[in-house]
Amino acid sequence: MARSKAASSKKQQKQRGVDFKKIKRKLGRKLKPSKNATNTEIKSKAIVLPEQSVASEKAGLAVSKKGLTLKELLQQTSHHNVKVRKDALLGIKDLFQRYPAELKLHRYVVIEKLRERISDDDKVVRETLYQLLKSVIFPACKEDNQGQFVSLMMAYIFNAMTHLAFDVRLMAFKFFDLVVQYYPPSFSLYAEKILQNYEDILRKNQCYLQDKGKLKSTFAGLVRCLSLLPCNKRNIETCEKTFSGQGILHAFEPDVPTESAGFSPIIKKLKDLVPVLVNCFQEFIPLVHSMLLLDTQSFDCMHYILQSIDHAVGFFIYGIRKGKPSLHGGPDGAIWDQTISSVLLKRFFNMFPLNATHNLSEKFDDRFFILNILIAEIFLQYSEWIYPPAVLLEKFLEFIEDALLGKICSDTRSSKAVWGKHVLSLLPFIPKLIRQVASDWKFRLLQAFTMTFEDCSPESSLKLACLSAMEEMLVPTDEMVCPDASYPLFEHQIIWIRALPVLLILLDDKHPSSTQVVLHLLLRLGQRACMNSSFAREYDNIQYSLSKFYSSCQEGGEICYGPFVRLPRDSQELSICGLYYFSYLDQLSLKSIASCCLRPELEPFVLFRIIEVLHSSFNDGHIQIADHMSFFVTLLSRFKVFPENIYPAVENDVKISNRGTFKSLTNAVCSCLSQMGDDSLVFQILEKVILDQLLSQPPLDNACAMLRMLVSQDSKPSRLSEQSISALSKYLSGYLIDVVHCIPEDDDDTTESARIQTCCYYFLPCFFLFDRSHKLVKLVLMVMGSLITESTAPLSQNYIQYAMDRSNRINAMVSTLLLMHKDAKLQKIISLFKVETVHILQIIHSLQSSENANMNIEERHKIQCACDRLKTITGVMQ
Amino acid sequence: MEKMDLIIASSSIAEAGVGCWDLDSGAEQLRYKSCASTPHGLTCVGQRFIASSQLREPSATSGSVLYWSWIKPQAAVKSFPSEPIKPFVSNSVGTYIVGGGQSGDIYLWEVETGRLIKKWHAHYRAVTCLVFSSDDSLLISGSEDGCVRVWSLITVCDDYESQRASHLYEYSLTEHTLCVTDIVIGQGGYNAIIISASEDRTCKVWSLSHGRLLRNIVFPSVIDAIVLDPAEHVFYAGSRDGNIYIAALSAESSSSSSYGKHILSSLYDHSKAVTCLAYSIEGNLLLSGSEDGMVRIWDPRTLNIVRMFKHGKGPVNNILVVRRPNFLTLGAFSNSHGSSRRHGSLLPPPLEKYVNMDKDANKMGVIRLPTACNILPNVPFNSSHILDEHVKLVEQQGSSAANEMEVERLKLENRKAMHMVQQWKKMYGNLHEFCVNEFLKGDDKGNID
Repeated sequence: MARSKAASSKKQQKQRGVDFKKIKRKLGRKLKPSKNATNTEIKSKAIVLPEQSVASEKAGLAVSKKGLTLKELLQQTSHHNVKVRKDALLGIKDLFQRYPAELKLHRYVVIEKLRERISDDDKVVRETLYQLLKSVIFPACKEDNQGQFVSLMMAYIFNAMTHLAFDVRLMAFKFFDLVVQYYPPSFSLYAEKILQNYEDILRKNQCYLQDKGKLKSTFAGLVRCLSLLPCNKRNIETCEKTFSGQGILHAFEPDVPTESAGFSPIIKKLKDLVPVLVNCFQEFIPLVHSMLLLDTQSFDCMHYILQSIDHAVGFFIYGIRKGKPSLHGGPDGAIWDQTISSVLLKRFFNMFPLNATHNLSEKFDDRFFILNILIAEIFLQYSEWIYPPAVLLEKFLEFIEDALLGKICSDTRSSKAVWGKHVLSLLPFIPKLIRQVASDWKFRLLQAFTMTFEDCSPESSLKLACLSAMEEMLVPTDEMVCPDASYPLFEHQIIWIRALPVLLILLDDKHPSSTQVVLHLLLRLGQRACMNSSFAREYDNIQYSLSKFYSSCQEGGEICYGPFVRLPRDSQELSICGLYYFSYLDQLSLKSIASCCLRPELEPFVLFRIIEVLHSSFNDGHIQIADHMSFFVTLLSRFKVFPENIYPAVENDVKISNRGTFKSLTNAVCSCLSQMGDDSLVFQILEKVILDQLLSQPPLDNACAMLRMLVSQDSKPSRLSEQSISALSKYLSGYLIDVVHCIPEDDDDTTESARIQTCCYYFLPCFFLFDRSHKLVKLVLMVMGSLITESTAPLSQNYIQYAMDRSNRINAMVSTLLLMHKDAKLQKIISLFKVETVHILQIIHSLQSSENANMNIEERHKIQCACDRLKTITGVMQ
Repeated sequence: MEKMDLIIASSSIAEAGVGCWDLDSGAEQLRYKSCASTPHGLTCVGQRFIASSQLREPSATSGSVLYWSWIKPQAAVKSFPSEPIKPFVSNSVGTYIVGGGQSGDIYLWEVETGRLIKKWHAHYRAVTCLVFSSDDSLLISGSEDGCVRVWSLITVCDDYESQRASHLYEYSLTEHTLCVTDIVIGQGGYNAIIISASEDRTCKVWSLSHGRLLRNIVFPSVIDAIVLDPAEHVFYAGSRDGNIYIAALSAESSSSSSYGKHILSSLYDHSKAVTCLAYSIEGNLLLSGSEDGMVRIWDPRTLNIVRMFKHGKGPVNNILVVRRPNFLTLGAFSNSHGSSRRHGSLLPPPLEKYVNMDKDANKMGVIRLPTACNILPNVPFNSSHILDEHVKLVEQQGSSAANEMEVERLKLENRKAMHMVQQWKKMYGNLHEFCVNEFLKGDDKGNID
């Protein structure tokens, strides 16, 4: 080939030589090669050699889309060509996204290589690196030992921060922001240096207005860093309170980096930084005034600057607090450098309020409002420590009042939302402010605060913030004050307290966390309400509006349950605890609570808590004895036991039956009664109420519970009056027969014992009564005898509810007698009344003979059986 | 060795009085009459006599506190503080008595003179229990408002300090939602734990040094009494359902307990509500008083009842285990034993009603009771942080003194050195003179030669 080429070029030269003369040549012929020409043809065959280098073997290795391995990519990151570097970074991103395990293995190597690119000259490369770190590497390395990881990077970041190119420096701050985002402790490790760098860049830089976009991210980073500093706000105290209930009791404190050690250099640096920030902010002011619109960029910058100052001031105050516990001391300006104080006072606060010179649209109004609120917040933080000059204070107070009243904002929805969001940050300062300012301002601020509280919607976070501010004013933690009518806040406190129950009902069960806060505040109020103060009276009055929270009785006797029954258990417990602190509970409240208790869906736990708390309240004399007793009687007589049929087997299954709950309720009530003290007095009150209830024929379970209640207060011999004994005998005869009738008999032997046990539960109170009053036994037996012959017509005066059929009735009666006879103690008593027993037998006999014709065979058989069983008893009797 | 512990129990019903038994033999001793004590209202002041605050009508305008000497069943001294006193305790040596009032005030009396040293508003509602720390420097009070507060008696009595601070208490622990029923404090000075029980069915364990909640234990019923195991492995909580629950402190607790978290097991004897508990370290026995008027003695290792005493019909609401005073050990209360008579009947004057402001300032010294017990009362310990303060103070003062001494020493040294310099100068002068003389002599000689 080379040869022919050479030949053709030769010919061309020749052509030129003869002046474009065309030479004809014969086609298809070639000059023969000269004979002495060397054959330069090279023939080759492919030689296959086994691969020798491992590095280039890519089969088993992770490769990027372009087929490059990690090592190659890393090498390419330091390539002199910008595009190659960028592609390499993209390749690494791609590779790690495909093979996350690679990153875990090689993360230190990777970061060691990549960090060199932090101060890369090209913007695109830096940006790519930022994206790579942000989206892939940092999220993946979150759990690992980040300290080492970060320390590898920091040297390069610092280097970049002092780079000559302004862009690189800005980017370095962005990188640092990223580091802090993923590893917050890194700020405190390098705080001094970082703050120095921030100060430098902000001081030297003269091109704010051009590079607002870039500076914005720098400011954002600064805000993030400063927000990591401990500050003066309340959230720190609350997060300390959370504790782990699991741990060992005497555990060592976990090793956290001790904060306070490194504070003093930070404070020093911050002191330098704050004036610089104020300068920056000032430079924006002419812009604000000159320009028609406050554009988003500069607004954001200003916003960030203010936030940074806010954090810094918060940190100063925290430092002062920490150095001098509030126990001993007035304002101590040790940390408040004079310069800072004067910078803030003379230059910064004088800018307030920022106002648009032109009439702008509401959006920009909102922006100014947000900035002003932030300045006010800084001012309030500042004034907590150093009392500001009166003129300034006046200016701010006016603003705060207007802000609280919502005068500044327009009425559109969006600006309302902005208002709510930002007024929120002022509220925590209100209690302290009110304590400090003069009385006329006190009044105005309280007025405004109360307005804010009343106007905001119940579920908003503004309401919550108001509540916590109220809590601070109502129940201060560090003072022992009993608020009273003379107290300056009293008038407003009353308004707040009255608003609380209404709020509770408004919240319903939709916002359990807010409800919890309100209930907690109510409980604290109750605990602090000193006896006989007007404050306590106000608290007592809450119960009237609070009764709707439990339940209310509507016209027509229908019960309308309040939010209480639907709340989670811990809220329910809190509200129950609040009941204890009323210095008296009136009937209406007790009634509404009682109807809550009777709601079948109510958890038994809550029911028992209510009884417990009310009983201790009674013990302290907060509930009248008659009210308390009628509360108990109501519970036991109205409680709906389901299912109505008594099956011993299913009793313990909570889903099917609440009979078990009712039994323990009965026990609880009885034990409360027995703790009341004077038994005979209690018995006197109970006797009449219970007899009235019994004669109205409640279900058997309720009757049994009431009998038990009666017995628990009775003594031997019985305290029952003659009159009630005769009334009771009528009732008891019916009751006993019904019990036996209602507990279904079974042929199975195993269930038989369970049946007897169940019967005994219902019989036991009667047995006690019989033991205490023999007269009652006699009367009951006599009534039983008369019941046999009595007609089954519903008009007749007996207390049988279930065993209507005559044969069944006789059968049940005999079973009752048998059961009584089985009990050792009762056996003795019954044997004293042989005459009456025999009388019953005689009546049955006569019935058999007289009405034999009217009965069918089954009936006859039943009666005969009963008769036989009764005979065995009478036979045994002496 | 002879067992020395006596049990003292009182009830809320006046007829039952104060029962007193020998723990070892179970023999009942003298019964002190007509005492309707308040819960936590019975105390044995320095093993010298028994004192108890009495239950009063809530409307009563004055309280009542009775003293009984060991040897007489009738109350010997009656005092009437300005309001009904509920809890009533004395410190371990019996120098001071502290009572908590219906209105939330706490009263501090000096026993020997009956002087009311200090009265301060401690709680928003009635004080329900008071406990001294093991070294008597701190007082812990619980109240109906669910608040537990820790008071340093030094701060409380320091008028200057108390006026400066916004609050007197060291800590105010406000996690309970209902009335606090009992408080105990563990051993360990400033690093001890406090356990408080409340009607909200919880017991909370607090750290005294940090004022922080360490553990919250929810019980199946209201806990009215708690007592610590001496090793602080567990604590016993007597509940209103008649159980005495055993709850874990440093003991291992499995989460699958049938009673709830941290509750290991329970002691049960079909009794009514348990109202008070005590622990006898000597016999390693647990004592419980119940609503049914019985005092039960348990062996905490086997969880069985060892012995039962019938106190009376009414609920027992206080049990104390005290060391038997030595004059009671020698047989019965023989009249021939003169010293016993003297010891037993010598009671301090009644407690004053009001703080007397015009007392002589120089009479502020502590007046201790003559010791009536068979062992010398231990020297009261100061808690570590007070010691630390002292040490710091001494160091500061010491260092200034030392500086002065140092200056003196340096001055002295300076003077010595000056003296030395003088001597050297003199010596040098002599030497120089000598040399010059010698030289001149030599010259003279040379000249002669």
